[in-house]
Amino acid sequence: MMDYDSIVIGGGHAGVEASLALARTGNKTLLITLTKESLSFMPCNPSIGGTAKGHLVCEIDALGGQMGISADANCLQIRMLNLSKGPAVYSLRAQIDKNAYHRNMLKVCENQDNLTIIEDEASEILTEDKKVVGVKTKSGLTFSCKSVVVCVGVYLNARTITGTVIKEKGPATFDRATLLTKNLADLGFEIRRFKTGTPPRLDGLTIDYSKFVEQKGDSNIQSFSFLTKKTPKNICVCHLGYTTLKTKQIILDNLDKAPMYNGEINGIGPRYCPSIETKIVRFADHDRHQLFLEPETLETNEIYLQGMSTSMPSDIQKQMVESVPGLEQTKITKWGYAIEYDCINPLNLYPTLESKPVSGLYCAGQINGTSGYEEAGAQGLLAGINANLYNKNKEQLILRRDNSYIGVLVDDLTTKGTNEPYRMMTSRAEFRLLLRQDNADIRLTEIGRNVGLVDDVRYNAFKRKMKSINKLKEEIKQSIKPSKTLDEFLARHNESPAPKGITIVNLIKRSNISIFDIKKELGLLKGYSREVLNQVSISVKYAGYLTREEQLIERNAKLESRLIPDDIDYLKLKGIRMEARMKLAEIKPKTIGQASRISGVNPADINVLILQLKN
Amino acid sequence: MKNLKGENQTIVALSSPLGVGAIGVVRLSGPSAIKIADKLFTSFKGKKPSSFEPRKMELGTFCAKNFNEQILCVVFVAPFSFTGENLVEFQCHGGIKIAEGIVDACINAGAVLAQNGEFSKRAFINGKLNLEKAEGMMNMIEAESEAEIRAGYSLLSGALGKLAISCQKELTDLLSDIEVSFDYPEEDIEYITRNKTKQKIVEIEQKINELIKTSSTGRKIKEGVNLLILGEPNVGKSSLLNALSASDKAIVTNIAGTTRDTIEETILINGVKFNIIDTAGIRKTTDIIEKIGIDKAKDKIKSADLVIVLVDASKKQSKEDEEILKLTDKTNRIVVGNKTDLIKSPVQKADLYISTKDEKSVNNLKQKIYELTLKENITNALIITNLRHLDALTRAQKALKKAIKNIDEDSLDLISIDLKTAYSCLGEITGNTTSEDIIDAIFAKFCLGK
Repeated sequence: MMDYDSIVIGGGHAGVEASLALARTGNKTLLITLTKESLSFMPCNPSIGGTAKGHLVCEIDALGGQMGISADANCLQIRMLNLSKGPAVYSLRAQIDKNAYHRNMLKVCENQDNLTIIEDEASEILTEDKKVVGVKTKSGLTFSCKSVVVCVGVYLNARTITGTVIKEKGPATFDRATLLTKNLADLGFEIRRFKTGTPPRLDGLTIDYSKFVEQKGDSNIQSFSFLTKKTPKNICVCHLGYTTLKTKQIILDNLDKAPMYNGEINGIGPRYCPSIETKIVRFADHDRHQLFLEPETLETNEIYLQGMSTSMPSDIQKQMVESVPGLEQTKITKWGYAIEYDCINPLNLYPTLESKPVSGLYCAGQINGTSGYEEAGAQGLLAGINANLYNKNKEQLILRRDNSYIGVLVDDLTTKGTNEPYRMMTSRAEFRLLLRQDNADIRLTEIGRNVGLVDDVRYNAFKRKMKSINKLKEEIKQSIKPSKTLDEFLARHNESPAPKGITIVNLIKRSNISIFDIKKELGLLKGYSREVLNQVSISVKYAGYLTREEQLIERNAKLESRLIPDDIDYLKLKGIRMEARMKLAEIKPKTIGQASRISGVNPADINVLILQLKN
Repeated sequence: MKNLKGENQTIVALSSPLGVGAIGVVRLSGPSAIKIADKLFTSFKGKKPSSFEPRKMELGTFCAKNFNEQILCVVFVAPFSFTGENLVEFQCHGGIKIAEGIVDACINAGAVLAQNGEFSKRAFINGKLNLEKAEGMMNMIEAESEAEIRAGYSLLSGALGKLAISCQKELTDLLSDIEVSFDYPEEDIEYITRNKTKQKIVEIEQKINELIKTSSTGRKIKEGVNLLILGEPNVGKSSLLNALSASDKAIVTNIAGTTRDTIEETILINGVKFNIIDTAGIRKTTDIIEKIGIDKAKDKIKSADLVIVLVDASKKQSKEDEEILKLTDKTNRIVVGNKTDLIKSPVQKADLYISTKDEKSVNNLKQKIYELTLKENITNALIITNLRHLDALTRAQKALKKAIKNIDEDSLDLISIDLKTAYSCLGEITGNTTSEDIIDAIFAKFCLGK
């Protein structure tokens, strides 16, 4: 008799999604965390979403995950980015009350059936015949289980650096974990060392906001969760300001004290999230850099200084902050720091997030070389789903590049690998127009239902929405007869007249007319929700582009669905170049589609591989 | 695991251009290539190919039924050969007969005749050639004239590839400008304007258009320039045909699909192939006025790159002449006055006067034909002889044109789809289709992040 079906190591954004997914699908689950105080903690920016990340949160939600619901519930301000650039790149971003978010998630976890949380440090993953059998902890406990999900974030052998002050600590001075790295290496994982950082926090009462530009939230936009009925309220504002030439000079004068440049930091940092010192060195011609003031929580006056991530010594940080107009008198409440940590090479994983060296062992989140709460949550959810399927001996779920950003994320990680902390970007998705936030439910709810995470409430709401969409799609085929009202309507929107009448579809296609204009001004299309109208409008307005992307997907579908057995001895395959054989052997692609995306494997190699598989 | 279907066969073919060049090369490739060679060839030192030092040429006797020839033989042992398989090359003196004899003997000894491009295909499958090189090689194999060989070389050395890469680079640059505005909408950077975007797309589209223009030259070089000779009976069409083909008669097999018309004769001018379209379908000129005759003639005229209207310079313009001139009025044509040997000064107007008996005047006509059909300098021009490349370029251009058309109305997320389509079409030529380049360009150019 097993103690647990699954054990999740680490209670960050990945660990919580994995734990909830497992417990909600009926697995007796143990979550081991160093401290409950850091459960779903946001050690860096107090926001969720943003470009491509908003997409991930909507997808987590559609699959039955938690992040979207909790983000909506603890939102301080919400905005839709890219509104002028088209629906494919609309991206939600919310400022989140990080204290409230943590407590909310803790409550959700504590009240979740089948889920037990203990405070301890996992010291060893126990295996037999390359299969998971249990977990040992630092305090000497041993738990047996069928599967393990490792979500240790940036805590493994973490080290924070502020100038010469180096602490053997995790983020926000939480304790680090030290025991699992060796175990993972022994199990066959390639261990790497990555780096990231965070800016100083400020006392909001000491800021002169008049020197900054206020940034307000948006009203009447969608929420992250398809279950949230109303757009979250905007409670707070953010502020925009700039560094000065003085800031630049302070940094340049003290570069020898910057751990980034004096050899103290060796980990690989992300290009998209550089420290202010890196920005000033790399883009020497820029005289100023943007800063945002973001509230951390309603419970304190603490402000997050977005744009000034740094590991400079604290006295220099003080000078840097004071050189910004409006921050001359500002008190720093927490110093910025860089953090280095151990992670694994994600090429050690299958696109199911199960590890190649050990069956039943899954990894998710920053341990896989990603960055970001959303990327972590998405992986945690997928790993939880697949650990559940593993426990029940069912076929694993692979999300594809053509059905989700999660699919793009996991395929990139496990096919191409990454040499820096990986951040999701819309540019990484080749089917961007199909992978929108607004249709995440249409893309993924059925999948979530099949794996047992979408409950009846969510599923019935989804079914109702689909029914309404289909009804509306029929309704818009009807024609509007010529009339004075129609003429005036068209003229009002600078559109050419339709003397013989016009179908609603063709009316929607007119570039100056929106489906909402038709509803409001012509009194048509009544009884449909905004989401439904929006969905149908996009499918009509972008029909040509959407069809093209769908055709492309169809063309690739054969390759994507063509499975490759795990036990192929690539090194012995004739007709494939040695470089390609070695790459294939390293990555062990699950499908021909995945194989074709491996760098160093060319189309000729794939043709031969297909032929060989046929024989 | 079994080998590739068909790959266990040993293939043989003449791999030097037919009828061109002084040496004929016959290639034998596959698992039993050396075994077959052993049956047929013995070096003067008395050794069989299986005991030859690889990649070293041996002189000896090729001996088959009714066939005994002194030739050269080289053995390449897998994987160190063009195809990556065991490969034997026989080199013989030019002349189709000997080469054909060698191929026949190999087939009798167990080889099968290779399909067009099969050597390259095997080389490609065995990882010996990348896509672009393989295609260049395939064109070489099909090359039947010098110019085509030159075009083949140009593709092989990547001239097209280089231009495609430069277009793709410009697209990468543009896309990074657009993508950064999607993924980093709130940065303190100068985002690209729509006007600038449009202007850049137009520039790239023009570049690709130039590239596509060279494709008509490419087609002419690969398949031959189509010539149509029209004229009333007894004006001297046959004599002209004979005079044109007298010295440079090409041995050419008709390639299916080159022209809907059958080719009566193929001639070489400056190394370029010219197909003279059979006029058998056009009924006697007296019937041209009949609808059926005119339709047929119009069809022929349409498929010709140049129409030679042959008139009798010693006579006044006939009704037939007039009819033909009217029919060819709007086509690329040259009016040639024949039979200047019969008169002192021409009675009828023409662009050029010849006598089929005067070689100099015929050569003059040849140069004129060349100039009128191949205006571009074909030795230096970047020539797209390959349909796949033309297709990829055309699709890239189509996508860019769509982007240009829609950019004033559509949102940028849609425009980016067309640009990415163009990017991946060019990638089919350059072999580079990863989106990683665009992301790299974003981080190289812009200062981003918190």
